[in-house]
Amino acid sequence: MTKILTIISGKGGTGKTTVASCLAVMLSREKKIAVADCDVDAPNLGLSLDLKEKDYFSFIKIRATEKVELIKEKCTRCKKCIDVCSFNAIKWDKKQNIPVFDKLLCEGCGTCKIVCPENAIKLKKVENAIISVGKVYGFGIVSGQLKIGESGSGRIVMEVKRKAREIARKENAELILVDSSAGIGCPVIASVNGSDYVIAVTEPTPSALSDLKRGLKIVNHFGIPFGIVINKYDLNKEFSNKIEKFAQKNKIPILGKIPYNKGFVKALVNLKPAVIYNKRFELLFIRILDNLKKFYEI
Amino acid sequence: MRIGITGGKGGTGKSTIATALAVELAKKNKVLLIDADADCPNDHLILSIKRKKAKDVFQLIPKWDFKKCIKCGKCSFVCKQHAIVFIKNKFPIFIPEQCNGCKACMFACPTGAIKKDKKKIGSIYYGKKGNISFVSGEIEPNQPLSEFIVSAVNDYIKSKQGKYDFIVVDTAAGTHCDVISALENCDFAFAVTEPTPLGKHDLELILKLLRILKIPCSIVLNKADVGDKNFIKKTVKKFKTKIIAEIPYKKSILEDYSKGIPIKEKNITKIADYIKKL
Repeated sequence: MTKILTIISGKGGTGKTTVASCLAVMLSREKKIAVADCDVDAPNLGLSLDLKEKDYFSFIKIRATEKVELIKEKCTRCKKCIDVCSFNAIKWDKKQNIPVFDKLLCEGCGTCKIVCPENAIKLKKVENAIISVGKVYGFGIVSGQLKIGESGSGRIVMEVKRKAREIARKENAELILVDSSAGIGCPVIASVNGSDYVIAVTEPTPSALSDLKRGLKIVNHFGIPFGIVINKYDLNKEFSNKIEKFAQKNKIPILGKIPYNKGFVKALVNLKPAVIYNKRFELLFIRILDNLKKFYEI
Repeated sequence: MRIGITGGKGGTGKSTIATALAVELAKKNKVLLIDADADCPNDHLILSIKRKKAKDVFQLIPKWDFKKCIKCGKCSFVCKQHAIVFIKNKFPIFIPEQCNGCKACMFACPTGAIKKDKKKIGSIYYGKKGNISFVSGEIEPNQPLSEFIVSAVNDYIKSKQGKYDFIVVDTAAGTHCDVISALENCDFAFAVTEPTPLGKHDLELILKLLRILKIPCSIVLNKADVGDKNFIKKTVKKFKTKIIAEIPYKKSILEDYSKGIPIKEKNITKIADYIKKL
């Protein structure tokens, strides 16, 4: 069975993508892996590995949501659709004397279609995301991009993971590494769901710790084992100690501590995983991998 | 005037800028700061505001009266969220986590067996710091619909917003529905970014979103001396926008941030002056 290792953080910008790209490169030297970028709002993992659009060899259009459309001729102006919409997506256009549907707010639930006595409303599937598949540093990578203004990121995350599993099967990969988005909302819940292990990347700030605790509630909900990586730990060693104490008290392993180093930003700017950009960073991630083996038997 | 602070990428400095800007604007004006990152609200931590709960946010969910239910399965059939499981000759099984409260099941039920019920999905908090009034929304972990909390915050401030000269809205990372709700009714927005390829990539996404929402915007370049500014300059040209402030990367800013102190930086005054002239 292919195992899934998912990276979360709660707070944005703590270094999920940096940790993901480095771990992917290091893990791929030991075993077959596949990688999934599930930050479908703002996917960056492929970019940070210098994958350009032309480097992807397949693009899959996803139609995971529906939006409503009005058949004008059938509408009798009863306004029932407006009354039932829970998302404020239907407004009355006084000039045209018809209801208009706000595509940004419409969730495609179809409640208006159910109450319309004239069958004047139909649901139409819309393309809401593109999933790209590529290969870099010897591993397959699947990346999802939600179309701007479209809804349904949770469903797209599920599609990205499905595709990653398919590739893992084809290539006999033992492990899928998932990079999730910031926050703890539907795309993160969908990323964490079905994972075997979770790594939470944090930094020594009150905001990051508060968000980490919220993120870990999601992981606990699914009963998935997890560990913490403290990034930029030396920016505030006192606060890093506080995070370590929190971890100790809750019996959460600290998988690694990464110091602040401008080399990580330089690696990003040069579109290289930090461990490729500067071999000296390898040691930091070898330590994380050793701990992953020790605690999770990965 | 409602001003959105957004950016696409996480960790570019949205909350840092939003809190510092609120502090600066509040020197001479009445300011309301809204933390619309319902997943991970942090502004109260940066400003050391002790929040008080204003109200809980509930979402509508269905409740079945099995005496009236004829086990027809129509409720399950219409549910796009897959929140209702139907097995032939059995009563429907409801999965509340999946439900988005659309009410489709209630209208589809031929016997009127489904009534309205509610579940708590989060809370709205308020607080004060000097001249700054503060409101923040916070979702309960494991509830997926952050945008509902942001909408509830928008409703909560509706009757009060006339009192303020400036409303500063700090959005979540990303470009998703919770960010869209936070940007609703904004007169202007600042996209906070950093000069890295990732910052540029996500900046373009948020600029596209702002264009769709028809919200005028400018760019705040944070950590301006880390990375390569040329990444952002091309995007600025492409979207015909401009960078109105460049905030250098300073360890002292990070150290202040890690201690929960709002940053002091002359560029914030620049942004505040820019807003006052809008």
